[in-house]
Amino acid sequence: MEPITINRTESKLRVAPEWADVCFTCGTCAGGCPVSGVDGMDPRKAVRMAALGLDQELIDSRFPWICTLCGRCEYACPQGVEILKMMRRARTLRERDKVPGPIHKGVAMCLERGNNLGIPKDDFLFLLADLSKEMDEDEGFPGFYAPVDKKGANIMVTVNSKEPFGEPDDMKFWWKIFYAAREDWTTTSTEWEGVNWGLFSGDDESMREITGRIVKHMEELECKRLLLPE
Amino acid sequence: MISVHDLLKEYIETGRIKVDKSIHEELTTIHDPCNYGRKSDKAFGHAFYEEPRWVTQQCCENFVEMHPNRANNFCCGAGGGAWAMPYEAERIYYGRVKAKQIMDTGAKMVIAPCHNCRDQIMKSLTKEFGMDIETKYLWELVCDSLVVEPWTEEEIKKANELRDAQYERDDIDLEDQEW
Repeated sequence: MEPITINRTESKLRVAPEWADVCFTCGTCAGGCPVSGVDGMDPRKAVRMAALGLDQELIDSRFPWICTLCGRCEYACPQGVEILKMMRRARTLRERDKVPGPIHKGVAMCLERGNNLGIPKDDFLFLLADLSKEMDEDEGFPGFYAPVDKKGANIMVTVNSKEPFGEPDDMKFWWKIFYAAREDWTTTSTEWEGVNWGLFSGDDESMREITGRIVKHMEELECKRLLLPE
Repeated sequence: MISVHDLLKEYIETGRIKVDKSIHEELTTIHDPCNYGRKSDKAFGHAFYEEPRWVTQQCCENFVEMHPNRANNFCCGAGGGAWAMPYEAERIYYGRVKAKQIMDTGAKMVIAPCHNCRDQIMKSLTKEFGMDIETKYLWELVCDSLVVEPWTEEEIKKANELRDAQYERDDIDLEDQEW
């Protein structure tokens, strides 16, 4: 076995330079982590890997991905080691085509077509109109419709694409509340996605771009408040 | 930017919407999502712990806490994109802790103020761990508790005009298309 050369200054994962020295390996993190033990996962091991310069090994491992980034370890750590930040950084450093599952594809789709699932504008607008008609005519909310690109609305509402895609009636929960509150709200015809998967894939640049588009729509429509879907 | 918690609380507090708590008699508990708790606290200096509890208790007669809760609450198991990632066995195993927390309360309804958490609890944990429980979004609970003050003829007429103008602008004809 080759000896490991520790290079503290060049570590890609050393987002908080003090961790290696301050982690006591006390196990407070591991004790409160529901995924400790799976695949030999232990937050302390991940911290040690980063501290010892095993950056690439950690980036290539399953640890940063079976971790749900819940932050309970970091919250509980008596030494303030930034475990959550390190795990997300390891996700960032994974090559994009090796990000597991659909989350990077969703980010790419969102950048290209304005929402994670690639729902076309015409389909979205027609769906909103169709659901609005149901509420207006059959469900006891006469006069209801879903306002789109309404200038000067009080609240601009973003949407979780899973709803128009697979659970469209769930959008009516908020719509009925808006109806009861007589709220002046609107959503946008494009780039209405409110779920930013860059948060999970570790892609800060895309997150910024997607968020920037929402801000741009808010400014153009002169809306006062922004509501995210959760 | 406004969070769902702030807006729901504002609507109820200022009387813009009315809710009837007698609709939900069953024992109800609430799940603290990591993103609205620990992570919001760290990123924005405020964790949404009390707002969803207050809103829930405006809509429910009987409330019970999970333990541990707030900053020490356990993740549902589907955070960080895990709901969409190909680690299903790990996600369900992770969720065993959440399932036990929920079952220990004896509640019949659990409120989730996060899409991911709701999907994990409702579509996965309920089945995997045989939980006898209903899961609702926080805003779904509010919606189901609404007492709607009917719109006047004038309000309806005005909204219809705005709708017609919007549909004309966007070229939407519901009669014309098959869905």
